[in-house]
Amino acid sequence: MKAQDLQHIAASFNHEAFGSQAVFRVALDALSHPGRLFHMPTDCALPKHGQAAAAAMMLGLLDADTRLWLSPALAVSDAAPWLRFHTGCQIVTHANEAHFVWVALGDVVPTLQSLRLGSDAYPDQSATCVIETPALHADGPGWTLQGPGIQDQRQLRVTGLAPDFTEQWQHNHNSFPRGVDVFLTTPTHVVGLPRTTRILNTQEA
Amino acid sequence: MFQTFDKSSPHARKMWLALLARAPQPLLDAALAQHTHTQPQWLRRPETGLMMVQGRVGGTGERFNLGEITVTRCALRLHTANSDAPVGVSYVLGRNHHQAQLAAVADALLQDPAQHAELEASLLTPLREHLQAKHAARHARTQTTKVDFLTVAREAGGDDEGDEA
Repeated sequence: MKAQDLQHIAASFNHEAFGSQAVFRVALDALSHPGRLFHMPTDCALPKHGQAAAAAMMLGLLDADTRLWLSPALAVSDAAPWLRFHTGCQIVTHANEAHFVWVALGDVVPTLQSLRLGSDAYPDQSATCVIETPALHADGPGWTLQGPGIQDQRQLRVTGLAPDFTEQWQHNHNSFPRGVDVFLTTPTHVVGLPRTTRILNTQEA
Repeated sequence: MFQTFDKSSPHARKMWLALLARAPQPLLDAALAQHTHTQPQWLRRPETGLMMVQGRVGGTGERFNLGEITVTRCALRLHTANSDAPVGVSYVLGRNHHQAQLAAVADALLQDPAQHAELEASLLTPLREHLQAKHAARHARTQTTKVDFLTVAREAGGDDEGDEA
């Protein structure tokens, strides 16, 4: 890291332990209840680029053993040295090497099948993908979700995703136990989409 | 604020960071008394950990792990109105968090051209003298155990020498 990068780095969680625990709790809840909106606590200083909820989640989840891929807009922003400094994560240039993928609003989401999917013996070695979206709504019309963690079915309306995302998601779901887990974020909220979740019918939002 | 780096070369900063890493707390306390009242903005709170020290025998020897040392590090930004204030970092031996903080404060202040000269006189110069004195004392102590190996055999001019050669 260059001295110039360090000059502009924002601080970390206001309270290291409580901040990261709160983030981890929300991430866990979000994956346990797919499709439900959760408020992400952002009790930390933030970089200028990237949504607050996504940034806080990255700060809470990454550590020195994880490899991170950033979408082009984030890779050149102050978010990269910020995460590098505070978490010690390695930033990689190829998305298929990464444990975590953070895609900024407006950037192209890499094809889910091109990311690390893990193996049948070690499905845990797959990537976790954090995708920023303009807005998320818990009411239709949009996706109808089913799967573990959802009682009957759940409605979720997502804006700003590529039209073929649901098709990619179908492939991702079919490759179970391999596959990626996705978090969709807005500046304040986060929704978990684990590989076990099915997107049933899609109506254009 | 890049100018602060340009005026004092990275090499200079490297030099004073090396000095600060070995600075005893009383010296830091004396020089930085007026700067320790304000709470800095922490980028990384003081944390203690282990670092592997590697050694090398001679200039060409293979590197080997000598052992682990306890190191405390921190990074902070002094509280000033602008968020571009210099960031001070420190790595010091031992577990003294306060010492690490003082060293980082000193690093941040030394990057400020306005403060540099004053601190150079009040902190770095005494620090250099202190480390030199310490080194000299240690050198003197080890000197007392020095053994001069005289080539007694050659002085004796014995026939053995000639036989071996």
